[in-house]
Amino acid sequence: MIRLSDRNTVEGIVRVVEVQDGVLWLQPEQTSTCGSCASAGQCGKGIGSLARRNEARRFSIAHQDGLGLGVGERIVVGIAPRILVKAALIAYGLPLTTALAAAGIAQSWFGGDLATLLAAATGLACGLWMARLGARRLSASGELAPRFLRRAKPGESDGGKSES
Amino acid sequence: MKEYALMMIGAALVNNVILARFLGLCSFMGVTTRIDTAAGMGLATTFVITVSSMADWAVQTYLLAPYGLGFLRTVTFILVIASAVQFTELTVRKVSPSLFQMLGIYLPLITTNCAVLGVALLLVESHMNFLASTLFAFASSLGYSLVMVIFAGLRERLALAPVPRLFAGPPIGFIVASLLAMAFMGFSGISTG
Repeated sequence: MIRLSDRNTVEGIVRVVEVQDGVLWLQPEQTSTCGSCASAGQCGKGIGSLARRNEARRFSIAHQDGLGLGVGERIVVGIAPRILVKAALIAYGLPLTTALAAAGIAQSWFGGDLATLLAAATGLACGLWMARLGARRLSASGELAPRFLRRAKPGESDGGKSES
Repeated sequence: MKEYALMMIGAALVNNVILARFLGLCSFMGVTTRIDTAAGMGLATTFVITVSSMADWAVQTYLLAPYGLGFLRTVTFILVIASAVQFTELTVRKVSPSLFQMLGIYLPLITTNCAVLGVALLLVESHMNFLASTLFAFASSLGYSLVMVIFAGLRERLALAPVPRLFAGPPIGFIVASLLAMAFMGFSGISTG
């Protein structure tokens, strides 16, 4: 979904899969790889089917009047790059920090490996819970929602290359 | 504490996963077209490397080593890494569907990232305790993220630079990567000096 674009937006191409009252359901049109090497077609294929993964990543945006978008159309959506990094910090940075802090405290208090391991697991769980709260707050502010940018050009793909 | 700090600096800078051990080169060249995406990929990889290293340490210490199953190490670690990625994917999806939609792209890439397995195998050879091995894995992955972000910044500037046609694209990228690797060799003075 993510690709290089202008400096202010991270863009991705999605396909409209359902149009409801005021809501567009979209499915990312992406490969499971970075698409930058000769093995791009095979890389990561064994980890669940791509169709299933993309289906799981369906999302919705508010339908904009006057666009006349229909099912099957390809559009470009975007988010602010700052939000991408913020989201990654909440989802991955916070649980790791709490896990490492808990492991460090347990090591200094108890000294044993098993206690440290259990403390790290507990810290990780607490961090994930905190990440959930942080993500809810971020989601409620509307920052995580991608916005419609434009219709995708014919042949335009996520890798920025034309499909032949 | 000092030993841990030195070990982490060594893992992140002196023996950098990408520039000194040459692991994770696919994502190094593939996902560094922009700083933001490189940072996202780096953070996701940091999480998976650290979590899978914790699990790998436990499997090695409490299962493989006591029962003499060392010959199954590589296969077992691959299984643990794939499970860690699945766990991460399920957790992020559960924690926040919005975050999952945004960050889910990185997770399949990590499973096939040899840096994850490489760090886990390095930990086995070094015979460290749980905290030390976790910090080593965390520092290694931070070094990975650091290089990804630095290289992405350089590539963003390269995109605007007048590069000769023959060198445009990956060739100039590899040349810059080699210069970056030489710059990181300067950190080796920390451990020897």
